[in-house]
Amino acid sequence: MDTNELISHSRARFDHHQARTVLKEKYQAKLTFAHAGGMWRAGPELLVLLATVPPGDAVVLDLYETPIRVNPEELRGLAMTRWQEQMNAWLVEYEESNRNR
Amino acid sequence: MTQGVVIFAFNNERIDYLAMAAWSARNIRRHLDLPTCVITDVTDTARTADFDQVVLTDPQQIQQHRYFYDYKASAVWHNTNRSSVHDLTPWDHTLVLDADFVVASDQLKLLFDIDQDFIAHRMAYDVTGFTAFQDNNWFGTYKMPMSWATVMCFRRSKKAQLIFDTMQMIRDNWLHYRQLYNVSENTFRNDFALSIAMNVVDGHTLSTPAIPWDLASITANTKLTQLDPDTYKVEYVTGDDKPKWIVLKQQDFHAMGKQALGAIVANPC
Repeated sequence: MDTNELISHSRARFDHHQARTVLKEKYQAKLTFAHAGGMWRAGPELLVLLATVPPGDAVVLDLYETPIRVNPEELRGLAMTRWQEQMNAWLVEYEESNRNR
Repeated sequence: MTQGVVIFAFNNERIDYLAMAAWSARNIRRHLDLPTCVITDVTDTARTADFDQVVLTDPQQIQQHRYFYDYKASAVWHNTNRSSVHDLTPWDHTLVLDADFVVASDQLKLLFDIDQDFIAHRMAYDVTGFTAFQDNNWFGTYKMPMSWATVMCFRRSKKAQLIFDTMQMIRDNWLHYRQLYNVSENTFRNDFALSIAMNVVDGHTLSTPAIPWDLASITANTKLTQLDPDTYKVEYVTGDDKPKWIVLKQQDFHAMGKQALGAIVANPC
């Protein structure tokens, strides 16, 4: 590493704004899961929808706008687990990146 | 239904795509636990030992040159036989990856659970945020939406066969399609052919199903280094000339700078 490169290296700062954007993209992908032949994204929209559906079988549109017959309680359980796991992982990485300078 | 990953690897005078593919095969085994197949013209078995299957084929009759920004030079680019993968794959359900796609997580496993015959990325983004990628996510004067051939997952099916046959037709008549879509780039790209083919097969409705997340990309004007087997540091200079960096941890990405990836592959963590 020559002097100019060393100076440039020491001047480099962690890009907090961009790191947050990339983390969001990463966890949007990780919130996606498959169930009952459909693709779903765990999040408030799906969780709230499933909370309003009466118990028993229900038909819900998946990410590809395909109607899928699901057990709402089962899908809600899976979505909630996925959501909590990934949100916790997101928080850990977010806090880790906040420590960078 | 058999499943596996296919990587095309045709070296040129500057880039050792086979070394990248072999390194990728080891990452794929670690994260996805899937068999890999390389489609190449390299006959040296020692160099293809990392793959479960090897398909030997010619790079294709059409040779074209491409300018590689990181090497600041042109080189032969063997990229015109991607559309033959439907015939060459040993598996019923195949994930096709570019040799420069870095697998650092198990995210791609999910693609095998998607109930679609053919799927690819619709949108890509620059992880540094420096470029908006407008010219990469749309192409030609009429802003045709891009489908990326970097990651393609398909089942052996009528639809997949139609898409690949259409890609071949577009490749063989590239001058016509280039004029039709008013593409300024001279070089044939699989991304262009795939985008046009998927739209043709879906009846020109611009409603082709896509992978439900965007393709993370690292452009050639960054410095990419590996910190541990699944963590990468990306250094870049912003528009106002400030040096910045971010870290990608357990996140798959498309490394567009072949020189930096080649250095990582030569000395991995």
